[in-house]
Amino acid sequence: MKKKESHLRSILIRVVYVLCLMAIWEYVARSGMLGPRSALIFPSLEQIAAAFVKNFVRGYAGTSLWIYIINSMKLLLTGLAIGIILAFIFSGISMVSYTFRKIFDFTVSICDLLPGIALLPVVIIIFGVRREVIVFLVVHAVLWPMSRNMLDGFSSTPRIYVEAGRNMGLRGMRLILGVYIPAAASYIVSGLKSGWARAWRGLISAEMIFGIASSPGIGLFINQMRTNMNNAEMYATLLVIIIIGVIVQYGILRPIEICTVRKWGMSK
Amino acid sequence: MSDTPLLKIEHLTKSYRDSSSGIEVLRDLELSVEANEFLCILGPSGCGKSTLLRCIAGFEEYEGSVKVNGREEREPGTDRFMVFQDFNQLFPWKTVLKNVTYPLSINRKGDKDEIRRLALEALEKVGLGNFANQYPHQLSGGMKQRVAIAKALALGSPIILMDEPFAALDAMTRSGLQKEVLRISESEKSTIIFITHNIQEAVILGTRILVLGQHGQILFDRKNEMERPVTPASPGYGELWEQLHQALYEGRLSSEL
Ligand SMILES: Nc1ncnc2c1ncn2[C@@H]1O[C@H](COP(=O)(O)OP(=O)(O)OP(=O)(O)O)[C@@H](O)[C@H]1O
Ligand SMILES: [Mg+2]
Repeated sequence: MKKKESHLRSILIRVVYVLCLMAIWEYVARSGMLGPRSALIFPSLEQIAAAFVKNFVRGYAGTSLWIYIINSMKLLLTGLAIGIILAFIFSGISMVSYTFRKIFDFTVSICDLLPGIALLPVVIIIFGVRREVIVFLVVHAVLWPMSRNMLDGFSSTPRIYVEAGRNMGLRGMRLILGVYIPAAASYIVSGLKSGWARAWRGLISAEMIFGIASSPGIGLFINQMRTNMNNAEMYATLLVIIIIGVIVQYGILRPIEICTVRKWGMSK
Repeated sequence: MSDTPLLKIEHLTKSYRDSSSGIEVLRDLELSVEANEFLCILGPSGCGKSTLLRCIAGFEEYEGSVKVNGREEREPGTDRFMVFQDFNQLFPWKTVLKNVTYPLSINRKGDKDEIRRLALEALEKVGLGNFANQYPHQLSGGMKQRVAIAKALALGSPIILMDEPFAALDAMTRSGLQKEVLRISESEKSTIIFITHNIQEAVILGTRILVLGQHGQILFDRKNEMERPVTPASPGYGELWEQLHQALYEGRLSSEL
């Protein structure tokens, strides 16, 4: 009962906060207090709302924002899938081979520190200006944090689980699948969270820096709005980016967490 | 009784590689256990009881041999199933029922329905039939230990190894679980090796009682032929208790030298 009340209250606080922000925005927009550039920096809420609709209906260069979103998501999902699968494979092999583990651990430590966007020039030299570049950056964004978390999770698996697993006849790969991976669930979930956050940021930045005509994405879209001084559309696209982030956070990542570590009482 | 005992341990010597002194925790230990025996092992702290059990279970490297039905075993296997003292031996990501069925399906102990039936039956036996769909974190410590025992029962392991499984429980829960284990040991065809610090527990449960001293030296090894159920009022109880107490005392003295 009490929990529900505080939950309602926290929602209420957020709603009021957002409404206040909107009111201030609208006031600044209408008062023209920032001089002649006021309308550019603060388009009115009405204009932004109209732009929001227009983004989807008319879009840019005859293409709806939907198409840009779908293009971005395709690259993002491909990259995420490859990155996650690689993280599982490499971290799994690390549990079997000591030498591999040392090498991989070292590689993860180095690459984890390297911002993907800094790699962009190198990757473009290798791949050329193609969509693979973005996939590569997404893989880079998700692979290392995911692997770091999995390696940490594996090495902190309680000995009792491993022994219980061996006791029932699990060996090698089956021990990894049956014990190490589920025991590292909370680490894997936090790896997913930070991997997603980095991948999403990396994707938008890469698309903004070089939009590929063959696969125009959200980053390209927002950049085009800026160059064309369609500021209301730019803000509307920002909203879309935020909304996608929220959907992934609360529609995908949170449920994954609730169905696994929360349900199993394994939250860190 | 056949010539080969169910479990035969010969020249078992064990020292931990990383221990400072490198002394032998177990030295040239010899032990045979017959089928259907309930062997209770007592001994002062640090004398190597857990080490012995872990060697039998195949978790440790050692010199000498551990044979089950005449066959040498060096790796863990379901023929020697360990019930640990640690309550966290269940997998938190599996329900109680899945925890019990999992070892069965790994070892292909029948088709899906058969495995489910065996598991539910074992859970019934330890009185947890109604908790099949709960997760381990929703159970108390004593209930988790019962699930661990149900795992061993469902698997039908010929040898069940228990390392102070009830040590961290309150007296009431503990005596309830003792009764359950006793009932199970009488109705099932399994051999139990049970480590305890509690003389009374050893006398109530064991059909044979062992006291270990320094380096796993066997100080006392006798069958307990008292009529079950053993209570402190049983004839011979006081005597046996006194003997065990004496042996333990000697063991402690020798390990302090
Ligand atoms: N992993 C290990 N590495 C090094 N030494 C160990 C290890 N495990 C146990 N020992 C040592 O081996 C000896 C026997 O330990 P063991 O746990 O077998 O004793 P125990 O009889 O079970 O004691 P308790 O009754 O307190 O559980 C102790 O001196 C202990 O310090
Ligand atoms: Mg011990």
